Amino acid sequence: MKRGVINLLLLFSLPVFCNSQEAIYQFQRDDSLLKKQWFELSSSKKDALLKKLDKKDAADYKEIYEERLKEVGSLLKTSRAVTEPIAHQYLQSLVKKIIDANPELKGTDARIFFTRDWWPNAYSMGDGNIAFNAGLMVFLKNEAELVFVLCHELSHYQLDHSGKAINKYITQMNSKEFQSELKKLSKQQYGRRRQLETLAKSLAFDNRRHKRENEAEADRQAFTYMKNTGYDVNGIQSCLQLLNEVDDSTVYPPLDLQRILSFDSYPFKKKWILKESSIFSQLGADDGELTKAELDSLKTHPDCITRIELLKDSIQSVAKGKEFLVNEPLFNKLKHEFFLEIIEQNYRQGNLSRNLYYSLQLLQANENLPLAIYSVSRSLNDIYESQKNHKLGSRIDKEHREMREDYNLLLRMLSRIRLEEIKEINEHFCRKYLSIMKDNEAFMKEMKRTRLFASAN
Amino acid sequence: MKKIATIACLVLITMASAHAQKLTIDNVHKMDLRNASAIREGSEVKGYYFFYVSDKIDKRTNEYTLQITDENLTKLKDIKFQDSKDISIIESSFNGSDLIFLFYNEKDRTFEYQVFGADARKKFSYHRQLSKKEERYLEESYLSDDEDQTYKGIYPIDGKGFISNMPSREDKDFTFQIDFFSSEKRKQWTYIPTAGGKRFIGDYLGSYNGVVYIEVLKLTSALDQKPESYVIGLNLETGKQVFEKSTEKSKYKFYPASMSVLNNGKAYLFGEYFDPNGNIGKDKSLGFAFWEMDEKGNVISEKYNSWDLELGKFLSVSSKGKIDDFGFMFLHNIIQTADGSIFAVGEGYKKVASALGIISKIATRGGGGASVTKIKVTDMIMIKFDKDFNVKGATIYDKNSNNHEMPSGAAYVSTPLLGKLVKSYGGFDYSYMQWNKDYSSFTVCYSDYVRGKDYKGTTFNSLTYNEGKVSTDKINTKTKSTWSIVLPGRQGQVLLMDYYKKEKKLDAHVEKLN
Repeated sequence: MKRGVINLLLLFSLPVFCNSQEAIYQFQRDDSLLKKQWFELSSSKKDALLKKLDKKDAADYKEIYEERLKEVGSLLKTSRAVTEPIAHQYLQSLVKKIIDANPELKGTDARIFFTRDWWPNAYSMGDGNIAFNAGLMVFLKNEAELVFVLCHELSHYQLDHSGKAINKYITQMNSKEFQSELKKLSKQQYGRRRQLETLAKSLAFDNRRHKRENEAEADRQAFTYMKNTGYDVNGIQSCLQLLNEVDDSTVYPPLDLQRILSFDSYPFKKKWILKESSIFSQLGADDGELTKAELDSLKTHPDCITRIELLKDSIQSVAKGKEFLVNEPLFNKLKHEFFLEIIEQNYRQGNLSRNLYYSLQLLQANENLPLAIYSVSRSLNDIYESQKNHKLGSRIDKEHREMREDYNLLLRMLSRIRLEEIKEINEHFCRKYLSIMKDNEAFMKEMKRTRLFASAN
Repeated sequence: MKKIATIACLVLITMASAHAQKLTIDNVHKMDLRNASAIREGSEVKGYYFFYVSDKIDKRTNEYTLQITDENLTKLKDIKFQDSKDISIIESSFNGSDLIFLFYNEKDRTFEYQVFGADARKKFSYHRQLSKKEERYLEESYLSDDEDQTYKGIYPIDGKGFISNMPSREDKDFTFQIDFFSSEKRKQWTYIPTAGGKRFIGDYLGSYNGVVYIEVLKLTSALDQKPESYVIGLNLETGKQVFEKSTEKSKYKFYPASMSVLNNGKAYLFGEYFDPNGNIGKDKSLGFAFWEMDEKGNVISEKYNSWDLELGKFLSVSSKGKIDDFGFMFLHNIIQTADGSIFAVGEGYKKVASALGIISKIATRGGGGASVTKIKVTDMIMIKFDKDFNVKGATIYDKNSNNHEMPSGAAYVSTPLLGKLVKSYGGFDYSYMQWNKDYSSFTVCYSDYVRGKDYKGTTFNSLTYNEGKVSTDKINTKTKSTWSIVLPGRQGQVLLMDYYKKEKKLDAHVEKLN
């Protein structure tokens, strides 16, 4: 009954924006009861697991399971996990398709949900919780690709890869041989580090090899599940291809900072993004201490190209299925909405640089203009306030060679720009879009805030 | 720096395994931090280094890990090598492309300068053997634990190499040694003045058109109150002396503190000037002077701004150079900005009577005890000159004053020399000054202590000049953490570190000064 009332409330929730010229976007409202229930289920499952344990290694397992539950809590007790009814039910429909087509999965206690996290990933936590990040969803082309990922993660859970890995780790760490080796080394006066490193490397290589084997096994099992569903198994190949290139991909074209934050009466200052001298500027990505062979051995997944090769014959042996079986328009709608959710989630979590980055991308693409404009002005105001109070450092990312180039330029600008310059940019920005946004209450509030900063100085 | 070393130790402690009783790879593996410091390109922090003993190879040999991070503490590279167990890092510098470290082997009495290129590979090593006399002298000065880096001196020459300036002993003479270490090719030269004096003090001023400028004070003895002052020019390629120019034979006695190459491409020396018959050991300066000097040592122009006339237009200054309420000015640094303006940054101090000293004198019937002299350190000051070296303004920045008891005998020391004493005891609140590459902006940092309604404790303060405007900012350094430290970052930024003992957490983040 309670849930019905809440659902009614969700349906009648107030819109974020009032703009007669463009469709209103309402941020997703989650079903918090569901999240609470799922967390309680996770917690009960953890307690049940602990009760079954042998006293000998119980402390080690307890530490790992509690750490895992903490991670589950960071998803289900926050706005990271998506339980908004439409998005959530859509995902459950796809999961139902997989379960109905594969009797061995009937009765699974897997709890699968989208998250609003920006990085492209999906993962099984080992206790039944399976997360599917919005940051991956925004790149997918069809339901077939989505279903492959679900099948892959369900396979990990069904094959209990996580549980087996935990057992192996604890058994190994507590084994007489390992402890004796460590004791010997702890008493050794000379050459200890090198031998410890050798020991650590052999453990890491062994663990990672097993992880890669698990990934390959999950792929094979995922294929088996997927071919029974009626979905086109070519989605496996296109999905793996996408994952291979995803680090270099963006939903929108790269940000042209110098154009989007330049105004006639306040042009962009090149010195904000001028590259300066840096230590070891010619250091290559492969200039680390490990050899290429060692780096390859530390990978947790086989290369996507290798994964495709391993499944190619199987894929070709199955007749072509469908790319969509549940709801194509909703799939596409959610893809787009999740980008907006990512923007807002970054704001909620206090990552102002990423919030600004995605908002500017949206603005540049001329999409969801009211949201983009509002989000940019709000972000700039928060950046101003944070910098004034010496809190900005913990609310923006730092430039790093592994980040995208256009994001690094924004970060460089944020690390250089002075307080009054932030205020000037926002003032000019708000003035530029005032004619479009004058009826938008949220935007006008941000504009007023900008003016207050100006008058305070 | 001690502060960074302490922090790094705590980082290692917090990273230790929670399983104190059961053995794990983490708690068996130990790394001892030997040195840590900021890596600077001139005044700008470009990164940090942490020098660990990561393993013992045998009785005499350690394995070291030299960890280099960027200015955000992001690790760039771990450089591992084996060397004697007696080495430590004394200094480092960055010249825009290459990095240099000075290693000191205490047992063998050797210096080794190691140069690393932009690809993080070692390019060259330069060795120097110290005599016992040299080592003893250096231990009193250059090698002493000096957090303010008073003696430290490796200076970058953009893209070419590094200049090192350190005290030196040559037979009975106390002098200094200038070394140039090339980062382009294996090349080095050395310059050590010994002729005509017993003591030489050398200050590196800068380089211009292939010439290295050094300000030299030549003393006939340790008690010489009238040292001879001159500027020498050394050819950057060969180390040969190209000129020697006295700074005392002109209209006034001039003591250059630093050098800048202006927007017009010319080099200028600036510092304080004294009466032509004066004594720098005793007298107060008459004001600020600016000399244009070419690479042959010719003085092209001279400009003098006196305290009472030119500066007196902006401040209430007595003829003896004392500013009302502020006291005497101790010059910390001078800089010329891209728009041609010149700024002198200083701090005020004045003598006050010490109650403790007076009581002590009475109790001992004048026989000894505490000094009757106390120094009150007052406010910060910034004096602005235009590109023609005319005084354009002077601003005093208030801060809370603080007092320092001076050692016995201080009452007899002249006020200017007292300023140097206060500096040597770390009595001033001034911390450092940084400027950006194109000199369009600079920041002066200093500490203070406030007793407000909302906050009582130390603060980290800054004055930032940017595109013609000066802004002030303040960070309260007392937080909810167990302790907090503010470290220099790149210009206009600081690295804030908060350690939470209960949570064993070290939070480090870079913040901008406004």
